[in-house]
Amino acid sequence: MTSTLTRRRLLHGSLAGIAAGLSGGCAKHRSGRKAVVVGAGLSGLNAALILERWGFEVQVIEARERVGGRIWTLDALPGSPEGGGNVMGANYGRVLKAAHDLQVPLRSPPRTLPSDYFVDGQRIARDDWASAEANPLPDAWRSIPPSRLMGKLNASNPLLQTRAWHDPTLMASDTSALSGLSALGFPDAAIRLIGANNSYGNNLDETSLMSLYRVMGEFGRLSGPALAVKEATKGNMRLPEAMAGQLARPIEMGSPVTAVHQSSSATRVTLASGETVDADAVIMPLPLPALRRIDMSLPASQTTLLETVDYHKVVQLHCIVEAPFWERAGWGGSWWTDNLLGRIFTRPIPGTSRFNMTVWINGDDCDALNAMDEATCIDRISRALWDLMPDAREATSVGQLVRWSNDPFAGGVWALWRPGQAATAHAALRAPVGRVFFAGEHTAEAYRGMEGAMESGERAALEVMRLLA
Amino acid sequence: MNQCWRDLAISFALICSTNAVAQADSLTGEQLYDIACSACHSLAHTPDHHIGPPLGGLLDRPAGAVEGYRYSEALRNSSWRWSLPTLVAWLADPDTAIPNNAMNYVNPMTAEETQRLGEWLLGES
Ligand SMILES: Cc1cc2nc3c(=O)[nH]c(=O)nc-3n(C[C@H](O)[C@H](O)[C@H](O)COP(=O)(O)OP(=O)(O)OC[C@H]3O[C@@H](n4cnc5c(N)ncnc54)[C@H](O)[C@@H]3O)c2cc1C
Ligand code: HEC
Repeated sequence: MTSTLTRRRLLHGSLAGIAAGLSGGCAKHRSGRKAVVVGAGLSGLNAALILERWGFEVQVIEARERVGGRIWTLDALPGSPEGGGNVMGANYGRVLKAAHDLQVPLRSPPRTLPSDYFVDGQRIARDDWASAEANPLPDAWRSIPPSRLMGKLNASNPLLQTRAWHDPTLMASDTSALSGLSALGFPDAAIRLIGANNSYGNNLDETSLMSLYRVMGEFGRLSGPALAVKEATKGNMRLPEAMAGQLARPIEMGSPVTAVHQSSSATRVTLASGETVDADAVIMPLPLPALRRIDMSLPASQTTLLETVDYHKVVQLHCIVEAPFWERAGWGGSWWTDNLLGRIFTRPIPGTSRFNMTVWINGDDCDALNAMDEATCIDRISRALWDLMPDAREATSVGQLVRWSNDPFAGGVWALWRPGQAATAHAALRAPVGRVFFAGEHTAEAYRGMEGAMESGERAALEVMRLLA
Repeated sequence: MNQCWRDLAISFALICSTNAVAQADSLTGEQLYDIACSACHSLAHTPDHHIGPPLGGLLDRPAGAVEGYRYSEALRNSSWRWSLPTLVAWLADPDTAIPNNAMNYVNPMTAEETQRLGEWLLGES
């Protein structure tokens, strides 16, 4: 906290406040052009940069000691694996432009090693999937790999328009993915496999079918060369760091915001230290579980929504592998499992003979893991790993455990919509309340993920500029 | 310092509060373009492709015509030509205007802002 600056600003703020109070009216806050942005993820940084470009005074306040939020490169580990956002889609115009302008080099990700299957306790080589006895799918479905089953949804995808995924008319027919997939004729075995590693829901019962259509529709449109995804060569966190470096005013790091209050003419942000910062508008580009922790006196309808929107659960165990021990047994190196391990993504560390191996567990399976202490959790996952690959015990070392749901400044990976929920929740959660504006991945319209975060920052900057121009 | 904090608290209590905050709505076409379009487009008259095609020289240009840009089939075959009315219709709802286009864009601007942006963009080009 730069306390001299803060104090000087406070003094200035107090005099202006008194002037406004004494004049007895709703006189506009004097400079009228200061915005606070709470959180230095992609959405907040993008909003802050746009506002600064147009001459507004912007102060970004970040809870953590690093910027980037849900983009988090694990720089201490060999290969700098990503603990958060991984790939930049080929159509991520804003992300790619920011990387280009700020000279953050990008590359095509090193290829993830081929994945074999571990289903019903049986190891199945990827080439044997269709004929394997342990493949539980009926004849017409047997040749579809588990990771592609959800793609079958595109045969009936009703979402023809970018914003249709929260269209109230379409939402009227939204159901849970569980009953929806069944009604569409997906065999039970396919539904079970889809549920085993579903990145877009914690369980199929509480997942909106329409939200799955949304994701599958996006993948469907991105066919062919458009699938050429990118990552930042030196870690995705270099992008938010470069964006932060462009700001005229340094970010207040390590300063969790605890409260945001407003009058008709000003806002006041309170930090955990007790210090306050006054501004003409505040942008809250935070994931909902983090937003819930901030005292904001929101309208009751919004508060209820904050409580009910679910967040995707992910636990990752990042391991370092010294040698490709799987080759001897003829396995590919990555795995798709229907047990605790979820998916295992292994990829070479460029320029070395080592590999990053990430165990990626998602959904409700994370609950038990999130409740354990760190050592117990690592032990639990490691043992499952050694059961699957006994050779891993010698050749693999644990780098880092990442549990997104336990992180108070994230609370999960991304917003999940319950059946029918997006019809009203999406609009309500991004609606400004007086001088307080909302952004972040969950408020985006056209994109999800990193590009959605950038898109939402643009919209919030526009709203603030309308108010303060 | 203590006095300062107390004054601040008092002054805050004095500020009258209403829920409605006046909307200035006076952003210029240039500002709107910068916020809402510039991340995906350039204003070049040459094939300077970002994720979208360049928008320089847009007035009277047939849709989908800039050399070397990989347009969607929908836009290329649309037989649209860019003018203020077509541009405003496109931006208001790209999916309805030209179904299956690849812009993937939901317009955050008001109708007046879209109009102002369109006038500026076509005048600029
Ligand atoms: C494991 C994982 C994998 C992913 N994979 C992909 C992918 O492959 N492709 C893709 O496009 N996207 C991916 N994403 C999603 C993408 O990373 C996010 O959508 C995007 O980074 C979100 O940005 P944001 O600005 O909305 O929120 P955040 O990045 O969460 O930013 C919010 C910021 O606010 C701060 N904050 C929170 N509380 C407070 C407080 N009280 N006071 C002050 N500051 C606070 C946080 O510390 C954080 O910096 C992934 C995410 C995760 C977690
Ligand atoms: C997220 C990136 C993105 C944003 C933001 C964006 N566009 Fe586009 N735009 C595209 C893409 C991609 C295309 C090509 C569409 C196709 O081929 O179907 C396109 C096409 C166009 C075209 C047709 C050009 C031609 O040569 O026929 C116009 C006009 C246009 N955009 C205007 C705008 C304006 C004005 C804005 C801001 C209000 C904007 N776009 C915002 C990505 C974007």
